[in-house]
Amino acid sequence: MGKNQTNLLQGTLDLLILKAIGDGEMHGLGVSRRIEQITRGTFQVKPGSLFPALHRMEEAGWLASFWGESENNRRAKYYRRTKVGARQVGIETKQWATIAEAMASALEA
Amino acid sequence: MRVLSWMRAAVRNLFRREQAEAELDAEVRAWVDAVAEERIASGMAAQEARRTALAEFGGAEQVKQRVRDTRAGTGVQTIWQDLRFALRMLRKSPGFTTVVVLTLALGIGANTAIFSLVNAVLLQSIPVKHPEELVVLRWSAHKWPESPGMASFGDCKMRGDGAEASACSLPYTTFQEMEDRREVFAAATAFAGPAELDVAGNGQATIAHGELVSGSYFETLGVPAAVGRTLALADDQPGATAVAVLDYGYWQSAFGGAPGVVGRTIRLNNVVFTIVGVADREFTRLTPGKPADLYMTLTQEKSLGLRWDGDQNAGWWLTVVGRLGPGVKRTQAEAAVNPMFRNAVLHGAKPAWKAVDDPRLMLIPAQKGLMGFRGFLSEPLRLLMLAVGMVLLIACANVAGLMLARSTSREREMAVRLALGASRRRVIQQVLTESMLLSLAGAALGALVAYAGASVLAAFTSANWYEPLVIDVRPDAHVLLFMIGVALVTGIGFGLAPALRGARTRAAAEFSRGTTGGVPLTSHAGRRRWPGLGSALVVVQVALSIVMLTGAGLLLRTLGKLRNVDAGFDTRNILLVWIDPTLAGYDKARAMDLYDNLQSRLAALPGVVSASYSSDALLDGNIWTQDVKVEGQTSKQTEELQMLRVGPRYFETMRMPVMRGRSLGAADIRGGPPVAVVNQAFVRKFLEGRDPIGLHFGSDDKKATQWAIVGVARDAKYDSLTDEDAPTAYVPLAEGGAAFALRTAMAPSALIPGVRKTVRDLDENVPVMRVQSQSETIDRLLFNQRLLARLLGVFAGLGLGLACIGLYGLLSYEVTRRTREIGVRAALGAQRRNVLGLFLRRGLVMVVLGSGLGLASAAMVTRLLASMLYGVKALDPVTFVLVPVLLTAIGMAACLLPASRAMRVDPAVALRYE
Repeated sequence: MGKNQTNLLQGTLDLLILKAIGDGEMHGLGVSRRIEQITRGTFQVKPGSLFPALHRMEEAGWLASFWGESENNRRAKYYRRTKVGARQVGIETKQWATIAEAMASALEA
Repeated sequence: MRVLSWMRAAVRNLFRREQAEAELDAEVRAWVDAVAEERIASGMAAQEARRTALAEFGGAEQVKQRVRDTRAGTGVQTIWQDLRFALRMLRKSPGFTTVVVLTLALGIGANTAIFSLVNAVLLQSIPVKHPEELVVLRWSAHKWPESPGMASFGDCKMRGDGAEASACSLPYTTFQEMEDRREVFAAATAFAGPAELDVAGNGQATIAHGELVSGSYFETLGVPAAVGRTLALADDQPGATAVAVLDYGYWQSAFGGAPGVVGRTIRLNNVVFTIVGVADREFTRLTPGKPADLYMTLTQEKSLGLRWDGDQNAGWWLTVVGRLGPGVKRTQAEAAVNPMFRNAVLHGAKPAWKAVDDPRLMLIPAQKGLMGFRGFLSEPLRLLMLAVGMVLLIACANVAGLMLARSTSREREMAVRLALGASRRRVIQQVLTESMLLSLAGAALGALVAYAGASVLAAFTSANWYEPLVIDVRPDAHVLLFMIGVALVTGIGFGLAPALRGARTRAAAEFSRGTTGGVPLTSHAGRRRWPGLGSALVVVQVALSIVMLTGAGLLLRTLGKLRNVDAGFDTRNILLVWIDPTLAGYDKARAMDLYDNLQSRLAALPGVVSASYSSDALLDGNIWTQDVKVEGQTSKQTEELQMLRVGPRYFETMRMPVMRGRSLGAADIRGGPPVAVVNQAFVRKFLEGRDPIGLHFGSDDKKATQWAIVGVARDAKYDSLTDEDAPTAYVPLAEGGAAFALRTAMAPSALIPGVRKTVRDLDENVPVMRVQSQSETIDRLLFNQRLLARLLGVFAGLGLGLACIGLYGLLSYEVTRRTREIGVRAALGAQRRNVLGLFLRRGLVMVVLGSGLGLASAAMVTRLLASMLYGVKALDPVTFVLVPVLLTAIGMAACLLPASRAMRVDPAVALRYE
């Protein structure tokens, strides 16, 4: 696996997480399920990727977290987007669009 | 924003790690529990549900570790871990640690010591407010000015070679004009000196160094008073009361730091001065290496009996320093002051230049322009910096060798780390942390070496200087930064090779080697690099040692030659005593009486063979030259003649034989027609075979004294030992101060107390300015060679010692490593001699390679020394042969120990080695 591809995937994961959380509040498992749902099952994000990403994004200030009650009355760590995170969605969407467009035109050529 | 949140996170991760861990744990558990509960709800057995949930999670510990790795501040934490581990490792091998730290302490310490001196002499900024705003005025023209007398006190470099002449000395009028240019200079000051002053009224008369400064001096420099006040403009008016400001150090040493000193009067050159204050403690000097004890105003020049100003106040004797106004650039200021200056020097009453000479004024940053002793010391200091750089390289190579040997024995450890999943970067980081720790420990210890070394060096320099000298070698920010920088570079320098090597360890190969750590006979293929690199490091050490030994050897040979130079008089057992009764108010006639009296009293002291005096001492760095014409001379040009005023029995006392005619007697000194004794060079160069006796010579101006030659003395060295004998004339001393010369029958220093007492008994107000033996003055002339020879000798010895340790270490290591091989050889019938030869040869190859490389480098480097060598060529064959022979001998001795150990290897023991 080349370096670029890793970066690309990593960038994609961040965007997917931000998108999945949206304006709501979600715990890790919820984020994972939501991603699977919005990508129509294409991406199944394993905890091994998801947890480091969530923590990294929290430390970067894109996500904020708090401990709350889950649906089945258990303590769970919830994540929500910060203002910076919301702005990041815009930035990453634009980047992704550029890449997607470039890839599409490259493949058509 | 991002940085802030990262830092917050990092702080939490570092200091509240347990909480972060607990939260991570809870988060992971919540996930697994949630999944398991869903499955139980959909009918799965509880145990099965948990198991599958955990399995799908993908290894809770691995996931947690991955989170930890991404955490902010992980790097810091790793470094902390590495540090603790490195400390443990180093504690486990105290021998290795001690040797390395000591080696590095010497290397880093020597570098820092020399750098402290470089810093003190070349880099330290002027200890005043905003020194960067100060500029020194310097004139420059195509030739030396026509009319004015020029006096310089060593603040600036004077240049008068070829097509360009320049200096800082300027007349008072220029200073006045500058002071008025308020749009250019916020303030300006002029100064001259220091003068040697006779201080009376404070106990026994002593000599102090007094600087003459304009009233604006302290204000311009922004130097406040520690006690009382500094000088003011009003003090510098004609007719103002004579006042003096003390230097802080002088106040401490001569007045015990008494605050009551303000208002006291002292007599300087027999003139009453009132002390008005003490300058700030920080203000130790303006020009490097030129401290002053007292500051007086320029207007006191005449009353102090100094004649620096020349006739009609037209002399160029002042150094002018200005403080640029706010926002004024140096170039702007230069453009602003030049028209005025050119007008003054081209169209004044006595033009100094013609327009074609293009005289101009430059404003030089004071830090650069005020040279002082920087001019003298920068060359030896640069060479010393080069030498200590080599010492450090040797130390680095040495430690790198040790580290490599150690890293070989730690290959298993590295293999284990790599096998357990450490990244290669991580292994490199760990090894580098260890070497950094070592080099920082070395630096810490080196700081002590440095401070001690720098103090000794500063003391050596001061003791060999012409005036009392303060060299401030206290470590400052520059020195600390330098030391830390050197330590870091060193740490990387010697740590990188072992680190990379550790990271390259092949785990599989390591584990297949069995458990004892011994090296099988056949395993050479994969480990060729280490002996190669290790030998290269030893070769480098030998080569650098050779370079330094060669330099030291050349200087030692130079010193030997210089000490054997025939000075033309007997330089041993002469005590020189400088006095100047004119400073204490003596007129000519009284001074001559005093000299007469003193001469007979000194000659009568036990242990004194004979006594005389002269205006300057020979070989003391002072020389008086005059342009003269000799009677009957064919060319129109005047000739440069070295002159010395002498008292009766001078030639006899100095043991300078008079070859023809007669010497100068008491009658010649006290009146009578002006007569002179000239040297043989005078006869050789000026007289073209004519009989010298009876010929006259003197300045071109026929009204000035014309001396009649009455005798010819043997050539003697006057200015320096290395100069060719120049025409010299000895004429009667009839005025001014005198350097008494005592020919002693014992060690000259033993006579000093008696001599001082004799002078004191004669007149308490006449201070002894300096007492030194002739060999001490000669030593001072050879300062550069002695300083460099000593230090290079020390450094070369250090380097040689380290190289030998390196050689010894490498061979010892190899003997240990090849014990089995040696055993096999011995078992197969190899003679002990052969085994010994095997290792000696190995050492010899390295020494010879290193010597060759070293000699080649030395041939290039010794050229830098050329200006300091005398009677020895930069490629002196004796040195270039002796040094490698010496080094080879010592190197072989270092090899002998491990080699003989190899020789004694018992085959039976060796084969059971594993």
